[in-house]
Amino acid sequence: MKKRLVLFFALVLALVTGFTTMTATTANAATDTSLSKVQKKGTLVMGTSPDYPPYEFQATVHGKTKIVGMDVAVGEKIAKDMGVKLVVKSMSFDSLLVALQTGKVDMVISGMNPTPARRKNVDFTHTYYQGGYSIVINKSDKGIYKNKDSFVNKTIGAQTGSTMYNESKKQTSGTTVKGMTSVSDLILALQSHKIQGVAMEKPSAQAYVANNKELAAIPSDFNLSASDTSASVAFKKGSTALVTAANKSVDQIKKQNLVNKTYLPAAGKYLKTNTVNTSMFHYWKAFLTGIEYTLIITVCSVFFGFIIGVILALARMGQGGAVKTGLRWLATAYVEFIRGTPMMVQVMFVYFGLGLIVNLPALTSGIIAISLNSGAYVAEYIRGGINSVDDGQTEAARSLGMSSGLSMRYVILPQALKNIWPSLGNEFITLIKDSSIVSIIGVSELIFQSNIVRSDTYRGVAPIAVIMVLYFILTFTASRILNYFERRMQHD
Amino acid sequence: MTKPIIEVKNLAKSFGKNEVLKDITEQVDSGQVIVVIGPSGGGKSTFLRCLNLLETPTSGEVDFDGENLTTLDTKRVNELREEMGMVFQGFNLFPNMTVLENIKLAPMKVKGINDAAATKRAHELLKQVNLDDHADAFPSSLSGGQAQRVAIARALAMDPKVMLFDEPTSALDPEMVGEVLNVMQELANQGMTMVVVTHEMGFAKSVADRVWFMADGYIQENNTPEAFFDNPQTERAQDFLSKILM
Repeated sequence: MKKRLVLFFALVLALVTGFTTMTATTANAATDTSLSKVQKKGTLVMGTSPDYPPYEFQATVHGKTKIVGMDVAVGEKIAKDMGVKLVVKSMSFDSLLVALQTGKVDMVISGMNPTPARRKNVDFTHTYYQGGYSIVINKSDKGIYKNKDSFVNKTIGAQTGSTMYNESKKQTSGTTVKGMTSVSDLILALQSHKIQGVAMEKPSAQAYVANNKELAAIPSDFNLSASDTSASVAFKKGSTALVTAANKSVDQIKKQNLVNKTYLPAAGKYLKTNTVNTSMFHYWKAFLTGIEYTLIITVCSVFFGFIIGVILALARMGQGGAVKTGLRWLATAYVEFIRGTPMMVQVMFVYFGLGLIVNLPALTSGIIAISLNSGAYVAEYIRGGINSVDDGQTEAARSLGMSSGLSMRYVILPQALKNIWPSLGNEFITLIKDSSIVSIIGVSELIFQSNIVRSDTYRGVAPIAVIMVLYFILTFTASRILNYFERRMQHD
Repeated sequence: MTKPIIEVKNLAKSFGKNEVLKDITEQVDSGQVIVVIGPSGGGKSTFLRCLNLLETPTSGEVDFDGENLTTLDTKRVNELREEMGMVFQGFNLFPNMTVLENIKLAPMKVKGINDAAATKRAHELLKQVNLDDHADAFPSSLSGGQAQRVAIARALAMDPKVMLFDEPTSALDPEMVGEVLNVMQELANQGMTMVVVTHEMGFAKSVADRVWFMADGYIQENNTPEAFFDNPQTERAQDFLSKILM
C-alpha cells in the first residue's frame, strides 16, 4: 500500500513538472512570434480583476455591465497602437498570472506592481502609473489611526496576492494582516469592524472614500521602492516583441500624462453614475445573467455527469477479462482521485492545465470540470443502485434471451434509477450550489455577478442576501420537480 | 426415435470447494415432462440453472437442440435462451412495469416484434392463464399465484421449445398452489417440453413422464412416476419418500 502511494505521488509530481516544462518551452518558442501572433488573430486579450476602482471595475453602461477603469483605457490604447481589438477577460487577481502563463490571456493590466518576484515569471512593460498606498479606515476611527504603525494588536486587511498584502506583513509589527480575494469584501469586513483598516492603492482608496461617507483614508507611510508603487503591464515571459510594442504606447501615456489627464477622470465618471442608483432592482439584469449561467452550468453538468457516472459505474462493475479488469481499475482510481481532491482545484486544473493543450472558454472548462467531478459521485450512487436491484431481475431478463446490455437498459437501470432518485436529486441540488466555484475562473454565474454588484454599489450585504434568496428559489423549485418525478415512479 | 432436445453429459458444478453437481448424464426428449425431485440442497435448482447457462458448468456439456451451450459465444447463448423459458420460485416480475409490459418487453426488444402484435399475443397468453383482466396492473398488486401465472405467460411469450420451472409453487400460500399447477398441467397437455423442479408429489405423479430423483449431486434414479413412487430402487429414494409421504 505504501509503495503504491509513493508511486502515485511520483506520478502526480511528474505530471506537474511536465506541465511546468511545457509552459517554459512554449514561452521560449513564442519569443519572436508573440506580436505577429496577436496581430494575426486581431485581438489582444487583457486579463484583469475588476474589483479595484478606479483601476478596473464593473459599470452599467446603457443597461449592460461592462468592465471600465483607467487600466482598461491603457489596454485600449495598447491594442489600438498595435492595430488590434481589445478583449477584456475578468478573473480573480490570484488567477491572473497563471492565466497569462497558460495563454488564457495575452497581457495582464490590473494595477499590478512589477515586483522582482513577479519579474521572474513574467515580463513587464515600463510603468504607466506611479501611485502610492493609503489605508482606508472607518471615519469614526479617524482620530485613532495615523498610519501603518497605529495598528498594533489590530488587524489590517489587503487583497490576497497583492503587493500591499506582502508589504503590510513585512512592514508592521504586532499587527495581524488579513487577506481576502476581493476589495469589496475587505471594505465590508472593515465596516463590520472585523478589521480596522484596508491597505490599498491611493486612487482606489480615494474612490472608495468618495463613494462612501462612512470611510476615510489615511496615509500608509509604507517604506516602498518605486517598483512597489508603480503599475505595469505584464506579458508572458519571453514575448519581447509584444513588450517592445506595448512600451511605445506606455511611454506615450507617460509623456502626455494621459492617466491623470484623461483616464482617471473618465473612470471617475463611471463611478459617479454607478453610485446614483444602488438599489438591488437596478441590477436585476446582472442577477438574471447569474441565474442563467448557474442554470446552464448545473443542467449541462448534471446531464454529462450522469452519462459519465453510468459509464464509470458499469466499468467499475465489469467482471473477468484483462480489458474489463483494466477498465475497472481505471474507473476505481478515477472515482477515488476525484473524490479525494477539492472541486476548486479541479476547476482550476481544467481551465489552466488543459488550457496548455486546448484553449477552452471558461464556461466550457467549468462545465467539463463539474461534470467530471459529478460523474464520480453519480457513479457511486448508480453502482449502489444497481447492486440494490435483486439478482433475480437480471436472471429473469437473461432467461428471456435478453443480452446483458438490454437487461441493464430496460430492466436494471430503470429500477436502480428509482432507488437512487433521492440521492441523484440531492446531487443535482448540490450542483446548483457548487456551480458557484466556477466564479474563480470568471464565469458570470450568481456568485460572480453578486461580487460585481457589490463592488459596483459598495454595498456589501444586500447582494449576498439577494443571491441567497435566489439560490433558495432555484434549489426549492428543483426539489419540488424532483419530488414530482419520484412520485410518478412509485408503483408500490 | 427423435433426437433429444436437451442432452446433459458428465455435468459437474462446484461453488468454490463445494461440489453441488458431481456427474450428471441425462436427456430430455421433445414433448416430455420431467419432474426433478429430491431433498433440499441436493443440487436440483443448480442443475436446472445449468440447463440455460444461468450457472456456468464447471465441466461437462449441455446440448440444446444439438448445440453444445458451453462452447458457444454469448450472442448464440442469448439466442438459445429465447427457446428455453424459465419460471422462478420468486416470480421475478419486473416491478416497474405493468403485467402487459412485463410480457411484451422481451418479444419487442429481443425479437423486434411490433407493439400491436406483441400486445395481441400478450392478451392471448393472459387469457390462457386466466389473468386478462389484470393486464394493466402492476406486479405489486398481484397475489403470489397471479404473479407466478404472469411469469409463466411472460416466458411463453418468447415461444420457447422448452419450459424450465424452478420450484414454481414453493413461495406460494397453499391455496394458490392449485391455480399455478393447473396452468402447468394445461401446458403439459398441449405438448410442451417441461423440466420441473418441485416438491409437489401429486403433480409429479399425475403429469410427469419421467421422475428424476436427485440427491448428493447425482441423479440417483430416473424412472416413470408409477415405478418411482410405488417401487423406488435406491435406498436414498426410499428414505426420501418415507419421510415425505408420511
